[in-house]
Amino acid sequence: MGSVPAPDSRPRHARGEQGWKQPCDNAGLVFPAHTLNSVLVQTLTTAAWLAVPALIGRLAFGADAGWALFAGGLLIVSGYHARNLRRLLDWLGNPDPGDVPEASGAWDDAFALLHRRERRLAQERQRLARLVVRYSQAGRALPDGVVILDGDDRIVWCNGKAEARFGIDGKTDVGQPITNLVRQPEFVKYLAAGDYTGPAQLKTARGAALSLSVQIIPYDDAQKLLLARDITQAERLDTMRRDFVANVSHELRTPLTVLTGFLETVRELKLDPDRARNYMGMMAGQASRMQRIIDDLLTLSALESAPQPPWDRQVPMRAVLDSLCADAEALSGGRHRISLDAQGDWDLLGAESEIASALRNLITNAIRYSPAGGEVRLIWRASADGASFAVEDSGVGIEPEHIPRLTERFYRVDSGRSRETGGTGLGLAIVKHALLRHQASLQIESEPGKGSRFTVRFPARRVAAGHQSSGVTV
Amino acid sequence: MPTTEHLSKQYDSDLDALRSRVLQMGGLVEAQILAAIEGFSTGNPELFERVIETELRVNGYEVSIDTDCSHIIVRRQPAATDLRLIMAVSKTVTDLERMGDEAEKIARMSKQIHERDRLKVQRFGQIRHAGNIAVQMLRQALDAFARLDAEQAAQVVREDMTIDDEFRSIVRQLVTFMMEDPRTISSALEVLWIAKAIERIGDHAKNVAENVIYIVKGTDVRHTRFEDLEREAKS
Repeated sequence: MGSVPAPDSRPRHARGEQGWKQPCDNAGLVFPAHTLNSVLVQTLTTAAWLAVPALIGRLAFGADAGWALFAGGLLIVSGYHARNLRRLLDWLGNPDPGDVPEASGAWDDAFALLHRRERRLAQERQRLARLVVRYSQAGRALPDGVVILDGDDRIVWCNGKAEARFGIDGKTDVGQPITNLVRQPEFVKYLAAGDYTGPAQLKTARGAALSLSVQIIPYDDAQKLLLARDITQAERLDTMRRDFVANVSHELRTPLTVLTGFLETVRELKLDPDRARNYMGMMAGQASRMQRIIDDLLTLSALESAPQPPWDRQVPMRAVLDSLCADAEALSGGRHRISLDAQGDWDLLGAESEIASALRNLITNAIRYSPAGGEVRLIWRASADGASFAVEDSGVGIEPEHIPRLTERFYRVDSGRSRETGGTGLGLAIVKHALLRHQASLQIESEPGKGSRFTVRFPARRVAAGHQSSGVTV
Repeated sequence: MPTTEHLSKQYDSDLDALRSRVLQMGGLVEAQILAAIEGFSTGNPELFERVIETELRVNGYEVSIDTDCSHIIVRRQPAATDLRLIMAVSKTVTDLERMGDEAEKIARMSKQIHERDRLKVQRFGQIRHAGNIAVQMLRQALDAFARLDAEQAAQVVREDMTIDDEFRSIVRQLVTFMMEDPRTISSALEVLWIAKAIERIGDHAKNVAENVIYIVKGTDVRHTRFEDLEREAKS
């Protein structure tokens, strides 16, 4: 019976089914010997079974009837095979793993084999799919932006970090040449030059302004891997360190130059006592400025190296706030309206001197940068969930681009003004350090011309119930 | 990303290359404007040099892309989308080149202001703000061009209104400066030119965006009301 699927017809089906290579694919294709035997046996049995009625017919009605019966039987059997072949072909045309046809006899064996093979393929497919998902999850979790490019530098795949950094979309932008979307001339040049031994640096301004270090790694045939690392922070630290050394020298040299200038004058010229006293006064002023800068630098380095502030020492906030307010009044000398609004009878835990000096520093700044007649509000809020201290002023305000750099050492928004009001340029750096040691954060909001608000937030674990009974101090 | 496949692969890759080159030119102009605005804020002479140098490369791009356009027209006789693409590219390139000119203008003015260095215009933050909006418009317009995204292009057109508002408010502020202190007049006028240049950059970015809508939708949305344009982009 020629309708039984021949063994060599199976690999074709297997090849057509899947594009990828599978190590265990062949396992399902080998025809077990017993199947071949059973096909033979069944064919013979069928023939024998057909022969019996044919023989009976021949004995009863003559030779013609016998042959007719035999032929009729053969017709029925081949019809059965043709039907099953049809089903097999139908199934092969649209293979559905859950719906492999069933039949009896030799066909049952064939279909069972097919069924088993399908199941194994489905498992294999699932395993591979899981593998792919796992790999792309790993790719997504990388801290660097990753883009896979094909031979024409078109986007094949990218992770979320790359999406954010380059402003591309991992789904809709697949197939776009990367330079259509990452258009920075530096990048286009780097990609076109083909020399990928070192990284290239570029700036992007999509969303937040970032400095990126991009590296292309060619692999496989003509594919490329594009890595993008965010170096904004590193770059900022770098400039900060460079600026710091330059600034320290500059800050110390300025008063020193004045000092030596006066010294020379006093030594070379004969001055009348009044003049001399005047010069001496100015020299003393410069010397004390140098003193202040060095003191501040020492404070900073002390803060940096000192052990953690205590967790069990309670800072009596009511007293601290009252004294801060009194200091503020004294500094202002009646030129500003100063108000204190304190709510919540909770104290801070930590080093009193550090906390008080940090808060005092913020208040001093507010007064210094507010014109006479301005307003300075001190707001203290405390509860079991944490505490906050805000200083609001109606001063000159700060341009937004300066705000992130304010706490850098010697960073000055307006250098002339800061020096003339006696600042060392280290105040906010000290504040930030002292606060960081207390796990507190400093938030700066400002609008040029309107005023600024500096808010310090202490976490709940730095707060303890106050000793005093009165809740509100105004 | 060709929308339809042509029989000739070469034709497809010609069109793709054309688009990519326009976008590269756009990237160059983007960087140029950024440098010009940063130069205005910081007065860094290196940036001014870079802006003026880039101008030459931008001009080179304009000429060569225009040549490519006419070559494709002659050789392929493009129709429908392809023809619209090529016409839009040709116009976009002109707009980009003008933007480059405006950037150069900003750089030259800023250089003058900083060399004179008499007025505190460096701290005129609003210029930088308007400049950033303009650059962002250009960036979005180019993104829309790369993705053939009409809706994003419509957004750019909307942004242009913001930049016009910014310009008006800068003018008002400058007038106040000048009335307060007549010595600032010459510098204020230079700042005004810079503001005008930024406003023009916004206009050109808007043109680029309108070209994108033309490529995608096939309708010319220039000089139409914004509501009509938006409806067209979304249709």
